[in-house]
Amino acid sequence: MRIRQSKQRPWLVAGVMAAAFTAAGLQAAEDNSRQLPPLKTDPAKAELGKRLFFDKRLSGDTALSCASCHQPESGYSYPEALSPGYPGSGHFRNSPTLINTVYKDQWFHDGRLGTNLNDVTREMITEDYLMNMDMRLMQERIKQDPVYVQMFKDAGYGEPSNGSVRKAIPEYLKTLTSRNVPFDNGTLSAAAKRGQTLFEGKAGCNQCHTGPLFSDSEAHNTGVAENFDIFLDPQRHQSFIAFNMFMGNENYMNLKRDVGAHVQSHKADGSDIGKFMTPTLRELKYSAPYMHNGTLQTLQEVVSFYNGGGGEDSNKSPLIRPLGLSVKEQRDLVSFLEALSGDPLNTPDYVWQADDYSYQVIENWQSARN
Amino acid sequence: MKLNRKARLFAMTVAASTAACSSINADSKDVSGNAMSEVSVAIADAMRAGQNQPARTIQFGDQTYPALAALGPVPVPPDNPMSDEKVELGKILFFDGRLGGDGSTSCASCHVPSMGWDWPDDVSLGYPGTIHWRNSQTIINSAYYDKLFWAGSSKSLEAQARSAAKGGVAGNGENDIMEARLALIPEYRQRFKDVFGDNWPKISNAWMAIAAYERTLVQRDTPLDNYLNGDENALTGEQLEGKELFEGKAGCVQCHNGALASDQKYYNIGVAPLERWEEDALAQITFRYELYAKGSTEEMYRKTKADPGVYFRGKLPAMKGKFRTPSLRYIKYTAPYMHNGSVETLEDVIDFYNKGGITRAGTTTAFPQTKSELIRPLGLTREEKQQLLAFLDAFSGEKMKTKRPTLPPYEPLFSEQELQEARK
Repeated sequence: MRIRQSKQRPWLVAGVMAAAFTAAGLQAAEDNSRQLPPLKTDPAKAELGKRLFFDKRLSGDTALSCASCHQPESGYSYPEALSPGYPGSGHFRNSPTLINTVYKDQWFHDGRLGTNLNDVTREMITEDYLMNMDMRLMQERIKQDPVYVQMFKDAGYGEPSNGSVRKAIPEYLKTLTSRNVPFDNGTLSAAAKRGQTLFEGKAGCNQCHTGPLFSDSEAHNTGVAENFDIFLDPQRHQSFIAFNMFMGNENYMNLKRDVGAHVQSHKADGSDIGKFMTPTLRELKYSAPYMHNGTLQTLQEVVSFYNGGGGEDSNKSPLIRPLGLSVKEQRDLVSFLEALSGDPLNTPDYVWQADDYSYQVIENWQSARN
Repeated sequence: MKLNRKARLFAMTVAASTAACSSINADSKDVSGNAMSEVSVAIADAMRAGQNQPARTIQFGDQTYPALAALGPVPVPPDNPMSDEKVELGKILFFDGRLGGDGSTSCASCHVPSMGWDWPDDVSLGYPGTIHWRNSQTIINSAYYDKLFWAGSSKSLEAQARSAAKGGVAGNGENDIMEARLALIPEYRQRFKDVFGDNWPKISNAWMAIAAYERTLVQRDTPLDNYLNGDENALTGEQLEGKELFEGKAGCVQCHNGALASDQKYYNIGVAPLERWEEDALAQITFRYELYAKGSTEEMYRKTKADPGVYFRGKLPAMKGKFRTPSLRYIKYTAPYMHNGSVETLEDVIDFYNKGGITRAGTTTAFPQTKSELIRPLGLTREEKQQLLAFLDAFSGEKMKTKRPTLPPYEPLFSEQELQEARK
């Protein structure tokens, strides 16, 4: 139902509205509907979450931390098309940025979790092609680290537990929000302002990229080409098969495409196959490559992709059609998209830099309470 | 009162499930001290139908136990018949780390063929980033057990393989990813099809094949088997002395009886908690994890400092610290010993029993209230201990070796052309 609404959203009206704003001389910074609401965070809980986020002992064989695939230098995404996944397996999608993820109400490119970040955290830690961690074991690992014991206490969680891990990491994610964004500050260049006009008008981007996150939180099929590496690399393909098996998709051994949001809607006619959640456009500067499978390398390629009317797909959204943008217009659009990114979040405020992850023997073990 | 009744019911269930064994729950019986020195081997009057050998029992005190016997043909469950092709497939899978979490840990990682088909350290290797909390047992002759693992938590080799592959401190695998891996290995697709007839490998059939392979890892030509089969020269004089002690003064046969030299019942014999649990952070992690994952009350989770063993399966206080009697077969190659590998040599094992379940360091079980009454000082002389040791040697034949198979490679399922031609 929500998807239909989005399809019917008349882009003509959006264009007219954009024109009206421009005519009135309104600046983007005054468009409050585009501002991210302020958040309150608990510093002790967030600090704990930060240490956990960079701790490889949260994965089954201690090879991966959350930050392995969500790297600060890459806007908390992974700098290659497909993220690596757990050793012995491989992933079949592009890691999305985690900056501003706390504002979302649906997660993953297919939108399969729409509850909260506690659940998302659990999925990431336990799923066998991701971090493959038995959370009961994770809990006992954390209890063996005196730094954690103190931090959990300071955060008001009492002793370390897997339940509190799943609360602390989302608290840290609340700190990963856009900072000093030209768009938010009203410091758009002339080119970016022209780009905004196109974004809201001729290019029709805001049909889907709406609201403060520049995302309508809905799934659309834009015809993105398949990334064949998923199928040509057996270790990625095995994860893809296991995932589709687990999600209840039919004929999973023969799938040659990522069915996307079909895993949440399971439409019998298959009209939802190949739909993916509209991603945020914030912090794009750091999160290349783009699309659910990382097949577009640069923002220029993305704009060019839409200008050409997207890719080929029998389920492609009617919103996706050739735009007829000039080379200069495409450049302006890219300028606008770049103005949606703020300061990189790679300072010690966001990154746990101490290499202090070690276990300690409990000396008085016989008399200590476990 | 209610608990006692439940305990009895459990004991009866255990006894009933024990094949080729009398239904006596030895643990609950009072064996008199006199019985130790007074032994007679009773030949049953009746010949068992279809067998050349008379059924033999051992009289020990006022109890009767199955005598040691030559190992018979390996039992094969009707739902997993043997075939050469299945065994061959099972062998490759046994060595393949892709049946596990990160592709690194196969069955053979902890059951190392060159090291007794078990792990040569006190507690087992464990998945990367972990260690295990129990000593891995040899899989030679494991096909004869009707319960697997130290606490008897699996009822078949098939179920044991599955549990080991999936456990967090063992293989850490999950069904879906392991099954998907098999599908992307063309040689496995063909072999599973040939053996099981399915178009795609099923993970449940991997456990069937591995179990079939394990049923070929059998040693039936030990000196003891040869002796029991009629070769009177198969045992030395010293070993025969040891056998007499085994069945008599030392009382070993009370639990180590029958063809497997195990009654497959549960006892607390007084093994002390592993010292490593006091000095190794990873061991402490594993220990708490097992307490937590196997289901403990809050109080038990907080206070327990020794492996409760079969307690986890029935949750009765009388079950604390009890473990399934292991076979004595192939033990020549499987040091160290006991569920936590805390006893290093067979000499030490004999010393341990001779002292009545006290280790060299003077320690014993953390669960004294459940310690078996069968375990008491034996008063063996130095010579007798030597004789017993010599006899234990007769439970093992030649070292069993195998050549590691070549693991078949992954290959993409689709060609690039097939992918390009796919309709979207």
